[in-house]
Amino acid sequence: MDILLQAIIQGVLIGSTYGLIALSMGLIYSVSGITNFAHGDLMVLCMFGAYTLFAILGLDPYISVLLVAPAIAIATFVLYKYLIQPISSQQLMVIQLTLGLMFVIQNLLLMVYGGNFQRVPSVLDGDVMIIGDFAVIQSSLFVSFVTTWVLAAVLFWLLGRTDFGRSVRAVHQNARAAALVGVNVGRTQLIVVSLSAAILAVSASLLVSGRAIHPSEGLHYTIVALMPFVLGGMSNLLSILISGTIIGVAETVGNVYLNGPLGFAVPYLVFILILIFRPQGLFGARS
Amino acid sequence: MNREIAYTAAGGLVAVLAAGVIVSAMPEYYSGIATKTLIFIGLAMAWNIVGGIGGQLSLGHSVFIGLGALLPAAMLLKLSVPLWVGVACAAVVSSLIGAGLSWLTFRFRLGHLYFALVTLAVGELGRIIVIGTEFLGGASGLLVQYKSWSFGEVHVSVATQSLIFALAFAALTIVVTYGLLRSKLGYRLRALKGNEDAAQAIGIDLLRSKTAAMVISAILSSLGGSVFAQYNGFVDPEVVASPILIISIILFTAIGGIGTILGPVLGVAILFPFGEILRGVLANSLPGLHLVIFGATLVAVIRLMPNGLVGWLRTRMQLLRVQQA
Repeated sequence: MDILLQAIIQGVLIGSTYGLIALSMGLIYSVSGITNFAHGDLMVLCMFGAYTLFAILGLDPYISVLLVAPAIAIATFVLYKYLIQPISSQQLMVIQLTLGLMFVIQNLLLMVYGGNFQRVPSVLDGDVMIIGDFAVIQSSLFVSFVTTWVLAAVLFWLLGRTDFGRSVRAVHQNARAAALVGVNVGRTQLIVVSLSAAILAVSASLLVSGRAIHPSEGLHYTIVALMPFVLGGMSNLLSILISGTIIGVAETVGNVYLNGPLGFAVPYLVFILILIFRPQGLFGARS
Repeated sequence: MNREIAYTAAGGLVAVLAAGVIVSAMPEYYSGIATKTLIFIGLAMAWNIVGGIGGQLSLGHSVFIGLGALLPAAMLLKLSVPLWVGVACAAVVSSLIGAGLSWLTFRFRLGHLYFALVTLAVGELGRIIVIGTEFLGGASGLLVQYKSWSFGEVHVSVATQSLIFALAFAALTIVVTYGLLRSKLGYRLRALKGNEDAAQAIGIDLLRSKTAAMVISAILSSLGGSVFAQYNGFVDPEVVASPILIISIILFTAIGGIGTILGPVLGVAILFPFGEILRGVLANSLPGLHLVIFGATLVAVIRLMPNGLVGWLRTRMQLLRVQQA
């Protein structure tokens, strides 16, 4: 029983970061109707950015994110403005293009960093916390959980209470009408895309401490993120975060009860099972 | 339109057969590339039935290819079941999974992106299940020793067998695609692709048509997987059952022109050897560089020729005709 409780707590903590990755996917989708299939690869790029900054300057990943986040935001801005925005009306084309980007980023990383696993040490390495008297968890997971929800709260405030947020929601609801009342749709999309890249950099720094990183993990993270993204109805940000928790719990609980790789299959099975009963996602409205 | 399809199909068949004759006379390294190219042409054509003609970007076809590659080999090695029985079983299982996947995604109209996302998750699930299943070889894969055939004096080497299978497979997918484009199902699929509302309004059953396309495509992909396994001898789950495989096939097809007969053939025939030769030249100096160049080429072509090579050529020819008139 204790093992189950510990697994659930761990799943909730790790799942919040999965939710954060999915959230940045959902942000892009909600203003532009597209999905970047190189999303996970961009995050792995951020992880290797943290690795490089550690190797050269000895920076902790929690500090280097301050450099990585603006860098990836600018890179994504350029990528989106010149490669994706001109064809953003054709969804299938964007999928193909970002799949091609996935190839480029992944192999660029392989070329530069080689095919070995790397580690980025952080201040929290090996640090554990005891919750109640039964659950022992890594402090880095707890930090991820808190950071995720603080970041989400800031984001919801930004979207709900500011003029920028109002223009984002206007573009999400009806881009043409938003343009008619004077919202600069293209610019709003670009700002949101850069913002979501910065969020991605934060999730990379949260995930990087305490785990080994590899250049070819990008697709895996894309898929881990797409499950909460779909379950959350693709643009409902709060339910995407909650769905991330579900996927995280499915992963940790699966790994407790099933040995070896099959444990990793549990989140996917849960995902498909939910889609059988709720094809539009857990919280999505049926159109 | 029909005449155009007939010409391209006939042209494709002739090209495939001619390629076979030329290939059998080539040195082994190049005939190996050619055999693989033919297999990938077939796989691209099989995917194109759902992805191109059906207009649904499936990222889960690696499940069918992986099943076709692994199940017959596993049944042969672990249960001593003849290969062809295993191949048939894999095709049946693939068609069932394909039908299930269609039911999951086409019951309600949830959009193209939804389909791509869900099939990608299914593809990854397939990879994990294969790696976790000891019967299918687990993470270490399966090795099958094939024997050369001999009919009296005539000996057919394993490499030549692969070439024959690859040729037959590529030809089969071309014939099926040709037949499909002329069949009722083909017209229904194209109507649905053009405008789902209008097509359904005149009584086309979306779920049934898309499921039929998926089942045909799944069976062909599974057969292609079996042919691929026979060519490789060693079946590596990280190659045959990984979504990366189907993603590269999609990119080849996208470059050639999605939805046409000629597109997948042209895309693979140009790009696959390009990739292989690039690897041969660059692999020793900088591992990974060949794939970066390859990926960048793909992105550039997708961006500059949105309708692929075939679409680009078609508009060029129309422009020429207009200028002449």
